[in-house]
Amino acid sequence: MSQKVIKYIGRTTDFRGNSLWEIVGNLPDWGVGRMVIRNMFQRYPEPCYMRILKVQAIDEQPNEVRKVRVTVEKTWRGITQPKPVEIYSTSYKADYELVPLSEEHKFLTNNKKAASVVLPTKLDLPPLLREYVRDETGEMNPQMAVHFKKTHNKNARLAQAGEQPTLQMSMDVGKPAPISAKLYDGLL
Amino acid sequence: MLRAGCQLLNQAAAVKTGSNNFALEFVRWRRKPRWLPVAKSKMFRVPERKKQTEEERTELMRLHNNYKTQLRSVRQYLREEVVRQQETSTADHIVLTPEQEEAEFQRCLDENAAWNAKIASERNVRLAEEREAKVAYVQERLEAAKLRSEERREKVDERIRYEIEQAKTFITRESLEVAIETALANPVDHNYAIDLEGNMYRGR
Repeated sequence: MSQKVIKYIGRTTDFRGNSLWEIVGNLPDWGVGRMVIRNMFQRYPEPCYMRILKVQAIDEQPNEVRKVRVTVEKTWRGITQPKPVEIYSTSYKADYELVPLSEEHKFLTNNKKAASVVLPTKLDLPPLLREYVRDETGEMNPQMAVHFKKTHNKNARLAQAGEQPTLQMSMDVGKPAPISAKLYDGLL
Repeated sequence: MLRAGCQLLNQAAAVKTGSNNFALEFVRWRRKPRWLPVAKSKMFRVPERKKQTEEERTELMRLHNNYKTQLRSVRQYLREEVVRQQETSTADHIVLTPEQEEAEFQRCLDENAAWNAKIASERNVRLAEEREAKVAYVQERLEAAKLRSEERREKVDERIRYEIEQAKTFITRESLEVAIETALANPVDHNYAIDLEGNMYRGR
């Protein structure tokens, strides 16, 4: 008897793994202290993982994947966030995976860190607005401040005085990254 | 020209659905309305997922981030511009020195006091009038009530007098024998008829 081949039909998904309740619901002490990962975030070379601090079960809702309220210590692209993060609204996504204790060292020994982005503080005005401001003030090259709101999970910051920004911004298409330069072949 | 083209399209659609009268096809719009269910032919269709190449994804992400930062910056610039405009401009209000402001306030206060005094005098006159009217009304009602009670007393007296008059012919315990004797002596026969002229026809 030949082996039965299961052929899946339907929309595909990039998620891989289980929902968070399916993981923590089967673990002793609800998996507190264990490491879980989101498979979607494994695309980055830097380590992305979460360590479970607290689990609060939520009643099952009919016709829905069961959710769970989990407080985790989140490490995102090699940077551990200072405050614990609560996962609730995304806990139904079947994209979580438990890391076996024997494999945690793979994440813990990976010391790569995402480079911090330094934004410029000043930016050119858009062309039409620039013309208006030129007419009004007589200034030849008016500039505006870059809007940036710092939150605890952002890895970017505005440049200090005298510091060179790592990200060059201009009011046009700009310079593409080296990897995608060939999209502009013969255009730029 | 456009309209002619539309008609052609509609005719084509009508021809297409001419044979099957059970399938409702909308010819005005060229698309299935949202409230109709998925077509039978499309029910098990799985839309293809387009793959983005890495370079495309990176570039689109970069453009998106740039655009968002630029847009937020422009919005902030315009917002600050409006605030600055409102703070420095005197277009919609008049700037006064503190003395002028005080004098203006005093003037407003005086005017207000004058208005209050005027309205108070008007109100006093009106209240006095109302009070008088009320007194007159109460007096009138009192007199009317007096009159009414007198009338009632008059009526009652009259009734009493009438009843006393009637009481003289009542049959008392003493006159009972006499009354019976009288009744037996004078029997009354009610068995008679009366014609239109009032003539009485006794039966017996």
